[in-house]
Amino acid sequence: MIAERLQQALDRGINRIGELIILRDVADSAFALCHIDDKDRLDELEIHRGAGAARDLSTWAEDGHYRFTKGELSLKKGWMLLLTDLNELRQALDLFYPAALGVWIAQEDGTLEVQHLRDKLGRQTGMYKFAKGISDAGAQRLVREVCGPGNCCVKKILWQLDADTPLEDSEASRFDGTLGEPARSIPLLCREACNHFVAECRKASKAEFEAAGAAKG
Amino acid sequence: MPSKPDTALLIVGHGSTENPDSSTPYFDHADEIRSRGVFSEVHCCFWKEEPSMREARYMIDADEVYVVPDFISEGYFTQEIIPRELGLDGPTTEHHGKTWHYTLPVGVHSSMTGLLLRRAKDVAPDVDPSEITLFIVGHGTGLNQNSTKAIRDQAEAIKASGAGYAEVLDAYMEEQPFIADWDKLSKTDHVVVVPFFIADGLHSYQDIPVLLGFEKDEGEAASQREVFRNNPYHLRGKTLYYSSAIGTERHMADVILDQVADFDSKHLS
Repeated sequence: MIAERLQQALDRGINRIGELIILRDVADSAFALCHIDDKDRLDELEIHRGAGAARDLSTWAEDGHYRFTKGELSLKKGWMLLLTDLNELRQALDLFYPAALGVWIAQEDGTLEVQHLRDKLGRQTGMYKFAKGISDAGAQRLVREVCGPGNCCVKKILWQLDADTPLEDSEASRFDGTLGEPARSIPLLCREACNHFVAECRKASKAEFEAAGAAKG
Repeated sequence: MPSKPDTALLIVGHGSTENPDSSTPYFDHADEIRSRGVFSEVHCCFWKEEPSMREARYMIDADEVYVVPDFISEGYFTQEIIPRELGLDGPTTEHHGKTWHYTLPVGVHSSMTGLLLRRAKDVAPDVDPSEITLFIVGHGTGLNQNSTKAIRDQAEAIKASGAGYAEVLDAYMEEQPFIADWDKLSKTDHVVVVPFFIADGLHSYQDIPVLLGFEKDEGEAASQREVFRNNPYHLRGKTLYYSSAIGTERHMADVILDQVADFDSKHLS
């Protein structure tokens, strides 16, 4: 059971996931969440209650942009979310970092299925179908330019271009999905390229196509 | 609906990389159903947002899962994309150690008719239906006949319901009959327009208001809820009442549960 596995992780001292820190027995609540950078100023934080508030807290970045990729390193600061029990904590974590807890447990158990990039691009519809035309070199470049903490993503990439083509070594491909204290963290795992990456593949694929056309004259 | 204590509900939506309002109804419907305690777990997953459909199973503890497409019509997404992404091959599929039940999309359920009537009444409460032409508006596309069938069916159901509207018409953004011609299509002075979409977004905030004629094409884009607050609009010699997307109706949660109940009576009884 996912909630039980979460409890076991907490009991082992794990208390971080992404930009969140998990606090226990805060105020009148069994659990609380806040931004890691706020952990030493809990008294100053704006209080929210209940798992449902996690959606609002995670939707907008400080500068007002829409965080549609939840692994983005742009979680707002200045708030604390109080949660009554383990199930509420689990539900809130699934709103901040969708499916991250279950994906991590599946990886720990050896049951996680990873989708490689070529498979992901091959499944696109509508205008995103064009994304699959990107070259291997273009996709490798995009990983360096789009993924990893240097590009504001906190997820560890598990996928390759395809089963036989690993990602080239870079800060993005090496990143472990945690923000300090890996032994106390649930890593955020990227088991398939996100839609932001797919959109970037589409743009790059179009640029490659147009450049090839221009070269032909 | 009877409690299903060891069963999960998975609500599937489209989602958007541009506009968070697009997925708000799905989370609202999930919250509402969660609060009723029918299922042991209620989750959402999306095509364009996280969690993806392929990630969804990792969130679910229960061995039995009802998958409800929170979509308006049967078509490409409900018949191809969702089954492919979740690995479903029929009404019930054994997959990844779980039993998956796949219901029809919410938009084709007969209880949508009641929701549409409620919304039409709420948006123009002081006008007698006999003086109103009610438009149910969909996107429309030449690519898939099914995309308009759900809307045509609802328009017919409302006509047959005895609600007393002078006319009930289906109309579309991108195929005939065009909603842009609402003033010519309607014979009455009062017109109510209900977008038959799950979420408010660019179509209901911007595109349809432009086609109706009370927003300018270069106006402010999404999240401009004022378009629903300024009723009625007096234009083209008529009085127009404009509603938000039908999927934002709180009672959509009931339609989701109705689809689950229908699935049970059709496939599991």
